[in-house]
Amino acid sequence: MTMAATTGRSAISPRAAELAYLVVSGLVLLLMMLLGLTMRLAQAQWLDLQPDFFYMLMTMHGAGMVGIAGLSGTAVMWHFLRRHVPLSTAVFVTNLVFFLIGAVLILGSGFIGGFAAGWTFLFPLPAYSQSLWSNNAAASYMVGLLVIGVGFLLLYLDVARGILSVYGGLGAALGVKQAFGLAPDTEGPPPAVTASTMVLIVNILGIVFGAAVLVLSLVNLYVPSFTFNALVAKNMIYFFGHVFINATIYMSVIAVYEILPLYTHRAWKTNAAFYFAWVLSTVLVLTVYTHHLLMDFAMPTWALVAGQVISWLSGLPVLLVTAFGTLTNVYRSGLKWNPAAALVFVGVAGWAIGVIPAIADGTIAINSVMHNTQWVPGHFHTYLLLGMMAMMIGFMTYLTNAKLRRGFDWLGFWLYVVGGIVFVLAFLLAGGASVPRRYAVHLAEWLPYDRMGSIGAALAIVGVLILVARCFTGVRMAARAEDSA
Amino acid sequence: MIQDVVWSVSIVLMGCFAAVFIWVATGANAAIANYGPVIDSAYRFRTWLFGIAITVLIGANYKTLGELPYINTLPQLSASAVQTSQAVAEQWSWSITPDNFKVGQTAEFHVTSKDVNHGFALYDPDFRIVAQTQAMPGYTNVLRYTFTKPGTYQVLCLEYCGVAHHEMKAEIKVAEH
Repeated sequence: MTMAATTGRSAISPRAAELAYLVVSGLVLLLMMLLGLTMRLAQAQWLDLQPDFFYMLMTMHGAGMVGIAGLSGTAVMWHFLRRHVPLSTAVFVTNLVFFLIGAVLILGSGFIGGFAAGWTFLFPLPAYSQSLWSNNAAASYMVGLLVIGVGFLLLYLDVARGILSVYGGLGAALGVKQAFGLAPDTEGPPPAVTASTMVLIVNILGIVFGAAVLVLSLVNLYVPSFTFNALVAKNMIYFFGHVFINATIYMSVIAVYEILPLYTHRAWKTNAAFYFAWVLSTVLVLTVYTHHLLMDFAMPTWALVAGQVISWLSGLPVLLVTAFGTLTNVYRSGLKWNPAAALVFVGVAGWAIGVIPAIADGTIAINSVMHNTQWVPGHFHTYLLLGMMAMMIGFMTYLTNAKLRRGFDWLGFWLYVVGGIVFVLAFLLAGGASVPRRYAVHLAEWLPYDRMGSIGAALAIVGVLILVARCFTGVRMAARAEDSA
Repeated sequence: MIQDVVWSVSIVLMGCFAAVFIWVATGANAAIANYGPVIDSAYRFRTWLFGIAITVLIGANYKTLGELPYINTLPQLSASAVQTSQAVAEQWSWSITPDNFKVGQTAEFHVTSKDVNHGFALYDPDFRIVAQTQAMPGYTNVLRYTFTKPGTYQVLCLEYCGVAHHEMKAEIKVAEH
């Protein structure tokens, strides 16, 4: 039965709002991919860019990708969650509006103001531009992020309200009793509810910390005597960043739980292991962030050791529950592959495979020689380009033209997957060769990696362009379609 | 070098994972099986996998946590056994004093920054990273490294610090005994 209840008055239907999210996501994603390709072409010396322009593009690319991963992941979560709990379309639309306002402020900070402190705005760099950007440009970036954060916070508060109205408590919605064998699995919440509960817990915390350090940074811009501890700031920034970007994958994986069973005709198993994995992930995502600070020798050693051990533990739910569950669901199921199913399947593969370089980098002895090399973008692009994004585009394909299995979709799929693999392998190879990340100008010895990466990126962009364009052609039909039960 | 081992092990494991996904995907249509028995045997298999994963996790962490780079986890050395070097970062240059050593000497770099976060990354003469730490304003991080190869080492900045981040380099010369 469909719970299509909307508690806010909105002139826009829920379906139209979802499609608006996906259209914006598709367009911004392609634009951000082009920025990324431009960066790789510059590093490959196939394009001539001034360093200040490169670093500005790098900042925009990072902020744009993180933002759009958040926006599109939220669309996936919202679509499936509203089958189970009442959600406000008005709040959903408000988040999109806030996002667009924030995006304009961020793009303006870079393309007009030259802001180039990296998307992570690592304190106190935004205030140390050496005259390359003004305090106002830096402030525009930070206010833009804050506006986007406020939008997401409102949305997660509405999600919490909806979930609590049905389940009474976050523990019940997470399936805590089922996780510890204290209640029957059959009484547990649906996967979409469990995943959404985990995400609202971690993201409300993450966004609040991010907002706090942004406000502190904003004050520091205009009142330089107001400084604060750079290590505390770093902790807050990396807590926010880690939580927020990981939450995008945890939202998008709902697409796997919901879409794959439609084609395998096998329900996703929610049992004690499933609920335990989600309860564990809630704790792990909140506590692992110090793996971004392993080369900060000033941190308490116990916190860094915890960062390593928790990084390793974090691989268990991903590999042994989500990836294993996906493989079990598909194994000899009779599934006839179509692009939507293939995309969400690739998304899980990308996430699982990305665990390996991630855990490597989360090991202190390895991090000593690989931190801030291109190994780092190698691992997070595996998670995001071939993981989260595949799940998200799979969802878009399902929503707009899943029944159509045209050859052109498959061409797009293979260009994207093969291009993506070449692209991330180039980063990982370069990281193994100690090539630094975030360098505008590369040495001659590094050019082969950059050129390999550029070719991979170009192929992937063509593939994504085809897939997204095909989705766009199905938007009108999808807007008329009834919400499926 | 650690990086080579990490790359080799990673690519093999990633390849194995990919192969499993490809095998399941290509076999999805062959000889359809009932879900119930698939689930039962999968869960039994998963218990074995869990055991292997935990064993690898414990082993790898036990080994690597014995090789931490933090000064408080390393054996105490007398003042004469180490050569202390002050390494100060600022936008966009390094000041490293002293910046020459001999093979067999253990250096302790006291790394800090005058302005923003930088990254002190020591590259050996073959241009591979051998050690690194963050250079932070308001903190001094101590990085200990024993030189085993002669030649010219480089220090690159590995924490993005502004428009000339990629030009922020210094040299350290290491002579034979």
